[in-house]
Order: sequence, then structure tokens, then C-alpha cells
Amino acid sequence: MSDLMTKTEFKAPPQPAYALMNQLPGQGPRAESPLYHADLATLANKGPVEGGVHLQEQSLLGHLVLRGSLQNKSFVKGFAQVMGFKLPGALQSAEAGEVSVRWIAPDEWMLIVPGAEAFGIEKKLRQVMTGHVSIADVSGGQTVLVLAGKDAINVLKKSSAYDFHDSNFPVGKVVTTTFAKTQAVIRRIGPQKWELVVRRSFADYIWLWLQDACAEYGLIVRG
Amino acid sequence: MNLKSMTQKNRLQAGGRIDRNQPVNFEYNGTQYQGFVGDTLASALLANGVDVVGRSFKYSRPRGIVAAGADEPNAVLQLGATEATQVPNVRATQQELFNGLVAKSTNGWPSTDNDLMSYIGKVGGRMMPPGFYYKTFMYPQSLWDTYEKFIRKAAGLGRSPLENDPDIYDHINHHADVMVVGAGPAGLSAALVAGRTGARVILADEQAEFGGMLLHSNEIINGLPAAEWVAGVVAELSKMDNVMLLPRATVNGYHDHNFITIHERRTDHLADLAPKGQVRQRMHRVRAKWVVLATGAIERPLVYANNDVPGCMLASAISTYIKRYSVVPGKELVLMTTNDRGYQAAFDWQDAGRKVVAIVDTRAEPTGACVVEAQKRKLKVIKGSAVIEVKGRKRVSGVVIASINAVGDRVTGNVRTLSCDTVASAGGWSPAVHLSCHTGSRPEWRDDIQAFVPGATVQQQLVAGAINGSYRLAACLEEGGHCGALAAANAGFGEQSDELLEVAIVDNEISESASMALFHIPHTQPTSRAPKQFVDYQTDVTAAGIEVATREGYESIEHVKRYTAMGFGTDQGKLGNINGMAIAAKSMNKSIPETGTTIFRPNYTPITFGAIAGRHCGELFDPKRYSAMHRWHVQHGALFEDVGQWKRPWYFPKTGESMQDSLNRECKAVRDSVGILDASTLGKIDIQGKDAREFLGRVYSNAWAMLGVGKCRYGLMCGEDGMVFDDGVTACLAENHFIMTTTTGGAARVLEWLELYHQTEWSELEVYFNTVTDHWSTLTISGPNSRKLLAELTNDIDLSGDSFKFMDWHAGTVAGVPARVFRISFTGELSFEVNVQANYGMQVWEKVFEAGAKYNLTPYGTETMHVLRAEKGFIIAGQDTDGSVTPMDLGMGWCVSNKKPFSYIGKRGMAREDCLKPNRKQLVGLKTRDPKVVIPEGAQAVADPKQPIPMTMLGHVTSSYYSACLGHSIAMGFVRGGLDKMGEAVYYPQPDGSVIEAEICSPIFLDPKGERQNV
Repeated sequence: MSDLMTKTEFKAPPQPAYALMNQLPGQGPRAESPLYHADLATLANKGPVEGGVHLQEQSLLGHLVLRGSLQNKSFVKGFAQVMGFKLPGALQSAEAGEVSVRWIAPDEWMLIVPGAEAFGIEKKLRQVMTGHVSIADVSGGQTVLVLAGKDAINVLKKSSAYDFHDSNFPVGKVVTTTFAKTQAVIRRIGPQKWELVVRRSFADYIWLWLQDACAEYGLIVRG
Repeated sequence: MNLKSMTQKNRLQAGGRIDRNQPVNFEYNGTQYQGFVGDTLASALLANGVDVVGRSFKYSRPRGIVAAGADEPNAVLQLGATEATQVPNVRATQQELFNGLVAKSTNGWPSTDNDLMSYIGKVGGRMMPPGFYYKTFMYPQSLWDTYEKFIRKAAGLGRSPLENDPDIYDHINHHADVMVVGAGPAGLSAALVAGRTGARVILADEQAEFGGMLLHSNEIINGLPAAEWVAGVVAELSKMDNVMLLPRATVNGYHDHNFITIHERRTDHLADLAPKGQVRQRMHRVRAKWVVLATGAIERPLVYANNDVPGCMLASAISTYIKRYSVVPGKELVLMTTNDRGYQAAFDWQDAGRKVVAIVDTRAEPTGACVVEAQKRKLKVIKGSAVIEVKGRKRVSGVVIASINAVGDRVTGNVRTLSCDTVASAGGWSPAVHLSCHTGSRPEWRDDIQAFVPGATVQQQLVAGAINGSYRLAACLEEGGHCGALAAANAGFGEQSDELLEVAIVDNEISESASMALFHIPHTQPTSRAPKQFVDYQTDVTAAGIEVATREGYESIEHVKRYTAMGFGTDQGKLGNINGMAIAAKSMNKSIPETGTTIFRPNYTPITFGAIAGRHCGELFDPKRYSAMHRWHVQHGALFEDVGQWKRPWYFPKTGESMQDSLNRECKAVRDSVGILDASTLGKIDIQGKDAREFLGRVYSNAWAMLGVGKCRYGLMCGEDGMVFDDGVTACLAENHFIMTTTTGGAARVLEWLELYHQTEWSELEVYFNTVTDHWSTLTISGPNSRKLLAELTNDIDLSGDSFKFMDWHAGTVAGVPARVFRISFTGELSFEVNVQANYGMQVWEKVFEAGAKYNLTPYGTETMHVLRAEKGFIIAGQDTDGSVTPMDLGMGWCVSNKKPFSYIGKRGMAREDCLKPNRKQLVGLKTRDPKVVIPEGAQAVADPKQPIPMTMLGHVTSSYYSACLGHSIAMGFVRGGLDKMGEAVYYPQPDGSVIEAEICSPIFLDPKGERQNV
């Protein structure tokens, strides 16, 4: 097994410090979001038209995880320069058009952009950000679900111990918390509208969970 | 089924909160009965004159309904019209009546009325003397099964259904500023005052209707009958958006940090099975800033001889049945009381038109207004006396009364008998301190009210009303309002006013005179000789039993409890505990506070398993994680293996194939041509930062400083103890950028491990970790034809051996999708791991199959992967390691570098004396003498199979398979000093007496020079 220990001569790095890669193909190959198999579009056409909860998957968006320090001026200013708005503070989010960013941790933000723009934005951020910064494309690893309607908050209360009341969770706030037996990044995007960012491998479990939790209120799937 | 319908002979013509226009049919022990909407099962049974509802635990004595609420010890029934809807341990006093309700008593054989056990009751009693429970645990554990069977059968604790419960139970979380427990007068005023401040208030009560005792009281509040005042308050509360009202919701647990669990029964009052689409029971999990306990008080029965004969009831319960349910549970009443409040039952009885034989007041000279009232009503009041014994078996037929001395510990004479069918006893009130005890607070004794009240607490908790020993209605209302305001103010709502909060004024309050501290009624005989005087009905604990306990030296009240089983029933001794403590105290000549009290634990009343489990059952019990190609695996007949929460294809059997056939085919396809594995589940951690390389060197045992861009390396990760806990390949993507792979099950643990060390030990290192496990789909294409196959799918990666060497990675396009391709191998074959963004995983997987048809591309699963890697002697962390093996033990010392300038995790651990001993268990290959025999994994190695038991065990088999490619079985396992024993024999004795002989060999069974992968 010593052949696993292939030794390589160490060379001074002529290469870039980080491996940038456009991970999206051009036209052609079919993309499948984490809930592709649930065929929500067909369900949306077949399902009921009235109910207390509306559910939609916002699929195939670009998801970038930014890590950096607020003390790093190139990180903070660079973000604002490229995105046109500032990094939000703790538990807050910010958005402009189709682009939104969520505070995740003191050194972490999650940027969600139109799928095709992810690589371009990553490149631009890399160009302006220096020092200790990481950008990870996780677009294939998660998806966005939008829960809306008068009973959406009850579904959240069944799924998570966090306090979703207006007084504690105004529009724009974001938390990463437990959701049933997995986790979600939850953002309030309207008085009765919530956004969940969930992991790909757990998406089917969450889909099952949501169907179950919404049953008593009536679930309307939006294509 | 007995269709003979009985009439509601004890139902009054008018009054009560039942709806006589809505009759309800139900079945009890096979007989059909009728009650009304608004009844509980207990009130309906009493209305129909059902006296006996169960048989007692030890003595099999007939038992009837004693109480009207959660404190009921006897009417604990089995509910359910079908097998699937069986619910045990339902208190008839808390179960609302509905059409089609089916209930059975749970003890008594062959029936509750004709119980064979009663004839051998004395035998049963002798077999279970006091101390049975305690002593049983002294016996060998093996006997417990026998005892338990006996106890359960005799005790009639009900049974669980044999079929799946079709109903839905779920959980919901809430946050409240003020959580009010109990909707009696105190709780209602607290909720009202707190609600008016705008605070988020939750008010929960175990009953269907809010109001508590006000639902059957005669008092006038603000000029209105009490029940009307309640209706007004409830109407105001239900209009407030900030207030949530939870009727039929028992606050069952009060946990640390004001976390409250509430068991709400949403449809148990409607039908046997929840209406379609409705949740039967819901567990509310409340995090409250402030909690107001307004749980009220429970009346204490008095302890007298034969006090368990059906017809003996709590005085307050009699009032409740008469006033609220319009049921008079008998014809002729004798009331025994130690206090003024008890008189009310006799007044209500008389008002219902039934005969009050006598009021027996234990006090020599009672002076309260109630005595005057009794005289006005021309009721016979016998002072300074007590009911010392009851006559009757299945129903009270009379009482023996006698004069007692001033302190109530001796009969002084004048013994005589009165005829009656009902005995009410009123021994004072015990505040319902249960919830306050849940958080660890010990109740405190108050002499003035002869009761325990909640003690000091660390919770943000207030108590109001009867739980606080404030029994007067005006005091309950005032305290409730005050606590509601204070709790809201503490939570930041409203202004805490010094003015008295005038929620309500009680217009007709009666003054009370002093009560007598009496628990145990004396008899003409000593306690040990007198007929049984029951303290705890549910566990058949008697006053004599408690005296035995203290005589045997069990002086701590906790020991008395365990010795006698007092308070061990499903009612947790709500009625009996205080009496029991008083009797223990008396027999030890101590005071009650000196003796102390036992405390209560959650749950306040029994709770269904359904409510505990919520939706975490069946498909939703645990998340199932799927890769992007899962649908394909299902469509192609894969069987799945659980790896962590992932569902991984195990193998892909074709029609008619056995598991071994399938494995043989899949293995040979990989060795002969090409196979493909979905390796997406392996943990993948993106590592960025200028110190990433240094960090890797510290967490892996081998060296990373020299790994060039474009290269991959295998690493072992060890704990501080030097023991291997995970492994995987890490690739250098760019100078400051790496991607680490971990085992499937270890991914989260490894990421936490890296973060832990970074955040706590080496925060100065500039490095960030991000999980990208779900982001990449990984397709492992393995076999001699893998290069040819991949070449058909890419035109921008040079796959030749010269430019794309083993342990290299290249970026390019595969099947039109950008990919990172790693030339690494876990099978020993020429192998390429293709990583694409997971949204494209399925597309690429399908394209690989389109191109792979001509190479007989074969999908293989984890089991085949295990065989293939075992042929090469590659370990699986977690299968061939168990947290007790170092890299050296695995024969992988090549993967440890002691030349690194900075230390690494595990270096010191590995250097411990014990880890350096030559005779440690070491991982070796094992070849069986009989090539067809596969040693069971886990089999223990011995040197001498003839050694008598206990044999000296040298190690065990960790991995064992039949290798179709090699034509013989292969195995890996630990053998003490095995690395120095190549060629020697070891033996594996089997459970059936046979012995498998094997030869110790190198674990690399196939291609030891690695020629197959270096092509």
C-alpha cells in the first residue's frame, strides 16, 4: 500500500492560491434539483387551490458560502463593491433584486444568486477580496423552499423550537436552526412568507415532513 | 355483549352543565349505558349506578369512584372500541363521554363484579407484604421477569394495543411571556390581567371547560353566578390575539428554564378514532419567560377502616358530581369532616333531595357559619366524633361512628352504627405542588393550613390561589390577578402597579373557622388489628403497612415510600401521600415537616406514547439521506444499506440471483472490465486558507507539506490517544485550497473535529472549512476498461498514464459537464472518481451508462466495494478499526510521519508505552484452510482450539468475504502479535462446536505490487 504515498516534488506556487471552477455546463445537460423527483410542477397543477400553506421550491439557484473577517476591509468593502449592498449584521439578511445574502455566523454569510451568475460573482469577489477569505460554491448541495400562507408559521412551530413570533422574528431576520430532525437556514421574507435553505440529501425527508405537517391546514404546491 | 340498558337512576331532573337534549350511548364492561354530552365517563357511570369500577392491586377488593378529577385512583380504565385504538390508564373522571365510547375495567378476573382473585385475596396479600417492591429488588435480577408478570396481571395496569395506532399525534413549540397553568379562579384572573398588558399568554387547563371549581360553586362574583363570570372572562380572553387558550390540555411536565410540556387531547372527546385529517393528541412544548402555577388543591380523604368500599368518596367530588353533572351518587349520606368546607357536600346532597344521615365533625366544638347553616337545614351534626369503620363490600351499607379525643388519636367511646350507602370524607386540602416539584423545588410545610406548599424555586415562577394555600375565592382571584400583572411586568409588559388589581369581587363569601389536623382516624382496635385503613388505594398501601415500614427501620420518607410502594401508582399518590407521611410521622413521634415529603416527577398524569413520539415515527422516524442518483438505483433494483443516515446501494441483484451470485458478478465485472459506484455519500470538506496545508499536517498522522497542486494523498486521522478514527483522500486543488474526503458516516464528526481544533487550539491558523458533501456527486469508475470508457466521455482531459498518474487529479469536462476527476482507487484497479455538481449527477451517471454498455459497465454497491477493497487489504475505518487501534496496529506505519516540525494529533498517544508493546493486537490477513469457508465476522481467534473454556482469545475477525476473483475466502482480523506470525495457524471456534482454521498472511491478497492500478 505504500504506493498510496506517492511523493511529489514541492514547487513554489505559480498557480492561483484558490481553485476557481465554473461548475455549470452550457446548454444541454439536464439539471435536477434536490426535489426533482417529487415533480412539484405536476403536483401544483393537480393539487388543491385552497389551503393554509403554500410551498414552492426555488430550484437551481447559485449558492455561495462566504467566509471572512469583518476586520478584513477588502472582504467587507469588496462585497459591497461587487454586490452593491453591504454584508448584513448578525441574524440579518440583505437583498437586491434576485440576489440575497444571509448572515450565518460571525465569519460566515450565504449568498444566493441566479444559478448562471454564481461563477461570475465568485470570480469578481475573488478579485477584490484579499487576505484570509474563503468562497465555496455549494449550489448543488442545497435548495430553497418557500413556505407561505396563514398557517406557515404553525408548520414552522411544529418543526423547530425557535421563536417565530413577529416580536422575535421580523421580516428579514435569518437563523440557522434545527428543522424536524435536520436543519435549515430560515429567513422571513414577508409577513406570512418564509424561506428555508435545506441540504440536498435531506430534501426528500423535509418534503415528506412538510407534507405531513401541512396536512391539517391544506398544502398547496406551487410549481 | 349485554344489551340490557340501565336507567340513569342517580341523575337529577334538572341542573348541572350537561346537555339533556344530547344523549350519548356508551359501553362499559360489555353493557350499554346512556349519559349526556357534558358527562365524564365517571359521572355517567355514577348516574347509571355503577358502583364497582375495578379491583384492588394486592387484595382484589372491589373499588368504586372516589374523586372527580386527576386524583382518581380507582377508575383507571382501558378505552378503545377496536384493537388498534386501545388506550390504557385512562381516568374515567377525566374522560369526556362520546357516542360509541367503549371502556373496560382492567383488573378483576373473570369480571370486576365476580372476581375470583378476591377469594384468594388474602393469599395475594400475603405474597406481597409491605416491602414487596423493595425486597424484590434484593433478589437476583433473573427473577424480576417472574415477579413483573405476576404484578402486572394482578394489578390490572391495562395493556397496550397489539396493532398500530392509526391516529396522528404531533408536537408543536411555543414561546410565551406568561404561561398560566390551570384555569380556575386564580389562573383565569392571572391570564386576564397578563393578557390585557399585551404579553403573549398561554392558559392551559386539563378540563374541557375553563373555570375549575367555579363550575360547581355557589359563589357570586361581581354579582354573577361564578360560572357566568367564568364565561365572561373566557370570552374576553378568546378575543385577544396575544392569548392562546388550551382546554383539554394537561401541563404534565415543568422542566428546567421554564420549559413546559403540555399534553392536549384534541379529539379524545369526539370519537374512538380521530376524525379524518385531525390530530388526536398534541404535545405543546412551551418556553415561557414567566410561569404562573394556579393548579389548585386536591382534597384529602380521611384514613379509616374499610374506607375503600365503593360509596366512600371525597366530599368535594360529591359536590362536583351533584352540581356540575347533576348526578347524586347514592341515597343516604354520612359526611365526615375535619373542616367547615366539607359541609358543602352535605348541603348539596340535601338540596338534591337525598337524605343526609349525619354530618360527623371530628372537631369537638365547631363554630363556623356552616354549623349554623347545618342547624338551619335541620341536619344532624355529630361533633367530636369520627366514622371509624365502614360496613359493606361492594357498596357501603353503614358506618360505625365513635367519639374521639381532642387530638384525634384515640376512640373515647360511644360506638354506634348508622345505616347509609355513601360516605364522604373531607380531610382538608393538599395544594397541587406537583409541577413545582418537577424542577427540583421541595415543598414546604405550613402549619396554619396543615399542608405543603411550593418551596423556594430557581425558576421564574409565581404561584397563585389554592396551590399557595389560599383557599378563599377572593384570595384566589386577588393572587391570580397580582401574579398575572407581576409576571407580565417581569416579562416586560404593562406597568407593575402597587394598587390592588380588582379583577373581581366575591359577594357571598362565608367565614370559616379553624380546621382540625387529622389524617388517620383511630379505631377501637390498634391499627394492625383493625380492618384495613387504606392510604394509597392504587397500590393498596394501608396505615398498618406504613407502621410496619417504620417499625422495620425505614425512617426516611423516601424509604417508607419504596418499602410500601406508596405513591408508586399511575396517580403518583395524589390522594394518599400526605396522609401516608402523616401516619409515618405519627408512628415515629415526629412532626410532618420533620418527616418531610416525597416529591413528584413528570408526568402529572399518564401520557400516551403517541404524544411522546409525535410525528417522529414510521417514515419520519429518522431522516433518510439520498444521493442525486438514488432514483436510478431504485429503478435498477438496488438493495440499500444504511450508512449513517444515507441509503447507499448495497448490491444490484439481477432476477434470480442470490446475494453471493450478485457480489461475484459485480466483483468480476470490476476486475475484468469496468464497474461504477455511487460514492457521493463520502464526506467532502472544502479547506481554504494559507495555513490549510499546515493544518492538514496537524490533523493527519502523515506529512502534507510536500503535496503538490494536482496531487492527492491518503491520510489517517487519529484521536489524541493515537487511535485511528477516520481516513480518506485529500487533494490539493490549489496552493491554499484542498478538498478532504471522509468516511460516509464520519463526515459530520470530522468537520466538527477540524472546527474544534481550529477554534480552540490553533485559531491563529488561517483556514476555513466548508462542507461540500452534498454539493458534489461522485461517480467512481473502476476497472481495466475505466480509462477507455472515460475517454469516450471527455475530450479535454488527457487520461494517459504519463500525464494523468495515479493519485493525480485533473479538471475537465465529462459528458458535457465540468468535472474534477481524481485518479484514486479503493479497488486496486485503474480507477477514476468523477465529481460533478450534484444537480448534474444523474445526467452524467446516465451518460456514463450509455457509453459503458459495450464494456458491460456494471453498477456495484457497498458490499461489492467491501470485497474488492478487502482483496487489496484496504481498511474501512469503523469496520477494521474500533477506536482501539493505532496506525501501527493496522500495519500502516508508513502513514505516520514523525519528521513534521509541528506535532500532530495522536503523536503522543501513539508513543505511550502500551501502544509500543510488540504483542498488541495487529491487523493481518487470514486465509482459511478450507478455501470455501468464510469465517464469520466477529469470530474470536485462539491459538489452541482444545484449550478448555475460558479460552485465551487473541483477537477477532473484522472483515470476511468470499472472493470470486481469487476463488477462495479472504478475511482480515486482529491477532495478538500477528505481524510477526505470518504463516502460522490460528483457530476460530464456532458456536456449533466446529473450528475454522486459518493461516495468518498479508492482508494484500491481490496484486501486491499494485500493477493493476498503475497502468
